[in-house]
Order: sequence, then structure tokens, then C-alpha cells
Amino acid sequence: METKRVLSLLPLLALLAAWQVASWAQVYPPVLLPSPGRVAMAFVVDYHDVLVNALASVTRVIVGVSIAFVVAVPAGMLIGRYRVLDMLADWSIQIFRSVPPIALIPMALLFFGIGDKPAIVLIFLAAVWPLLINTIFGVRGIERTLIKVARVARASEWLIFRDIILPAAMPAVFTGLRLGIGGGWLTVVTAEMIAVKSGLGYMILNAQLTFRSELIVAGIVVIGAIGLLADQGIRALRAYVCRWQEGLTGAAE
Amino acid sequence: MSGFVSCLGLGKTYESGSGSVEALRSIDLECGAGAFVCLLGLSGCGKSTLLQIVAGLEAPTTGSVLIGGRELDGPSPLTSVVFQDHGLFPWMTVRKNVAFNMKAAGVSAAEREARAAGLLAMTGLDGFVDRYPHELSGGMRQRVGIARALTTRPKALLMDEPFGALDAQTRGHLQEELLRIWESQRTTVLFVTHSIDEAVFLADRIVVFSPRPGRISAVVDVDLPRPRDPEGAGFMALSKELRHKLVPDLHGAPLG
Repeated sequence: METKRVLSLLPLLALLAAWQVASWAQVYPPVLLPSPGRVAMAFVVDYHDVLVNALASVTRVIVGVSIAFVVAVPAGMLIGRYRVLDMLADWSIQIFRSVPPIALIPMALLFFGIGDKPAIVLIFLAAVWPLLINTIFGVRGIERTLIKVARVARASEWLIFRDIILPAAMPAVFTGLRLGIGGGWLTVVTAEMIAVKSGLGYMILNAQLTFRSELIVAGIVVIGAIGLLADQGIRALRAYVCRWQEGLTGAAE
Repeated sequence: MSGFVSCLGLGKTYESGSGSVEALRSIDLECGAGAFVCLLGLSGCGKSTLLQIVAGLEAPTTGSVLIGGRELDGPSPLTSVVFQDHGLFPWMTVRKNVAFNMKAAGVSAAEREARAAGLLAMTGLDGFVDRYPHELSGGMRQRVGIARALTTRPKALLMDEPFGALDAQTRGHLQEELLRIWESQRTTVLFVTHSIDEAVFLADRIVVFSPRPGRISAVVDVDLPRPRDPEGAGFMALSKELRHKLVPDLHGAPLG
């Protein structure tokens, strides 16, 4: 585990070193490429701005992904279990999931104006498809014998959903959640550059307009760091919820 | 004598795009209360299909199944099934797996606990209640499958090659244990196998199947005294006789 941490950090440290060298060598003038030191200073000077905007972005993603989760997981379980629903939904899912949420920004602005609403709707749209598709996939992958066991035990449909389909689909749901949060996080930054007047996307764009390149980079660092933290968090949660899987899967985590 | 499990003129034909396949033809079978009946045959002879139909998982194309004198329409509360690949829920501990059938049947939590404890002790699982299935050996998993099937106090136990995936030694142990359980519970057992020795060791009556279409080619009553000795003369003679009954099928029978 310790070795893994060190190895994971290594490329990041190398990047930091390269960046320091580049700024010393003045590959780009300091106005365009700030030194690591100046970016670190930006965190001190502008900590309030960074914190408020980061919080705004994170809150939007949490709200958007949560709504997507509540909609997509039950829907995915039903579609995965009942063939008719699958036939009804299949083409529509394939069409709508191919539309990048960014392409819907103009539409969202027309419908919801400037503010939180269009951003949350776009995050929802970014997260709902991977969650839905992975949940369906998870339900379909259930070992057929397990459903037979439930049928001969005369289990109610409700018990089958709660005790069999939901836990069986859980690993796939987590895959969907990871992808959904990733997509939502990508979308929030873009949406904030256009549709809202707060958040990290807005902060970065605004920093560009005021020639504060160190704040741009600071924003990027925060975006990346939060992305990493979110992913680690989901992995840990998955390891706990799906602890029955330990040793079942071949992947070395 | 009318059986506890009866099949009357049972047939099953699967329709597919490329035509139809007759899996079972005119099966008549009587299985008396408390009897241990083995369905013996090579792969593809329809014996597992028959078990699925008796379990209520599939509907016959023709004919009917009676269990306890009532015509079958879906899975019966009087039967339980043990599957070849054990069918344990990997996300449930042994305790929860064993309790599942009772939960499905609406047995109260206290009663579930009591019955599970008794059956876990009987199947030698009491030290493993909080383990997950992947932490158990194949033999242990199938014990859990058997314990779970017995929790609803079935009148008939339907077993689909339950020991087929186990090594010979574990298989022998579980066969003996199954007989012990059967003698103490007095349930009817319908047991699918492709092993002649297994059938002769376990059964009161052996129903021999032949393929294409799946049908009963012989019914042999076994009156060897129990416990049976696989090295004994009677055992060997009967095995030989059954081998001859299966042999004509070896030519052109789809294996695997």
C-alpha cells in the first residue's frame, strides 16, 4: 500500500519539477505561465474565492448526481428485470446518451436562464446515462440460478428486487457512479463557464479575463484534486458495500 | 399406489427459430412419499428438464404434474430445490443464505433463527454462519444449499446433480450425509445424476432416461440393504446391469 502511494505520487512530483524548471527557463513569460510558488500564493491570497467557488461546484455535482442516482438506479433495475421495458427503452437510451451534455447548454439556458438550475440539469444529464446503463448491465449479469432459487422459494417480486437484484447489481452501480461523478464533474466546470456566475469554472474564466494566470492554475489544481478525492471516496465506499466480493474478482486493488 | 410426486403423460417441446426440439416425451412417473428416486441418464436426456418442470420453473407442453394430489401450477410450497451450482447468494453470509427461503415463505424472524440453527448444526455448518460463500469449499457450499432447502420443511426435495461439481471424496461424504438427513426427515427425494454408482448408492428406485427425445427407458427398484457397499457383489451386479441399459445410448448420444 505504501509503495503504491509513493508510485502514484511520483509522476505528479515529476510534473511539478518540470513546471518549476519551465518557469525558471521562462518558456512562457510569467504572465502566462505562473511559477508553482505564485500558484501556492494564490491559494493563500484568494483562499476565500477558491473555497466558495469549489464549494459551489461540489454542491452542484452532489445535487445533480444524487438526483441522477435516485432516478437511474430504480429505473435501471426495472429495465434490467423486465424485457418489455428494455425493448421500450433501449433505442432511446442509446440516442440520448450519445448527446454530450455540453451540446445541451444553449437549450438549458433557454429553459432555465442563468443560475444553478441549468447547471444541475446538465450534471444530471451527464450522470444519469452511465448510472442507468451500468445498473441495467449489472441486473442482466445476475447468475440465472439465483433467480431460480428465488422463484422456487416463492419469493415476492419485492423481495427479489431488494435482496437479490439490488445487491447483485451493486458493483455495476458503483462503476456507473464513478463514471457519473466523473462526467458530472467535467460538465459542471464547463457549465459554470457559461451558465452560472459562481463555481470553479466561473472562477477560472474570470481569472483569464483579469490576467490572473496563477488563479487559473490554482483552479485547475483544485478541480483535479477534488476529482481524485471523489474517486478515492467512491472506491472506498464500494469496497465496503461490496465487501462480499473480496477475493471474488481478479482485479488487484 | 399413487405417488407423492406424479407425472402424467408429460412432454416438453422447445420451439425456436430453426425448428422445434422435443426434450421430453410421454413421461409417466410415480414417486411414493418418502422414497428416494434417482433420475439417471446421460447429458441431454431431459432428466434436468423434468426436474425443472417438477420444480415449477418450467411448464410442460403436454401432460401434468401432481404433487400431494394437486396439479402443479408454478413452484409448490411442498417442494424445495438444490441446484448443481449451489445457487448461494454471494452477498449473504451462510446464516442469511439459509434464512432466505424462510423469509420468502413469510416465516417469523424468531422462527427463522431457530430452524436455521437446527439445520446448520445438522449439516455441520455451525462454525461457519458468518462466512460468505466464497470463503467456503465446494462441499461446504452445497451443505448450505441443502440446509437452505430443508428450512421450509419440504415434503419433497428436488436435487439437480447436486454433487456433480465436487471431487470424489467430498462427494462420498455428502452422499452419506444426505442419506442420514433423508432418513431423519423422511422427505421424498428426486435426485438427478449421470453417475450410475451414485444412483445405486442412494436410490430406492432408479429411473433410467434415454435421449432424443428424452424418455424413460427403464425403471429399476433397488432392494440392496443400507448402508450399501460399493464393493459388494449386489452393488456391482446392479451397476453392471444399469451400464448395459445406458450403453445403447452411448452411440450417437450428444455428450457434454
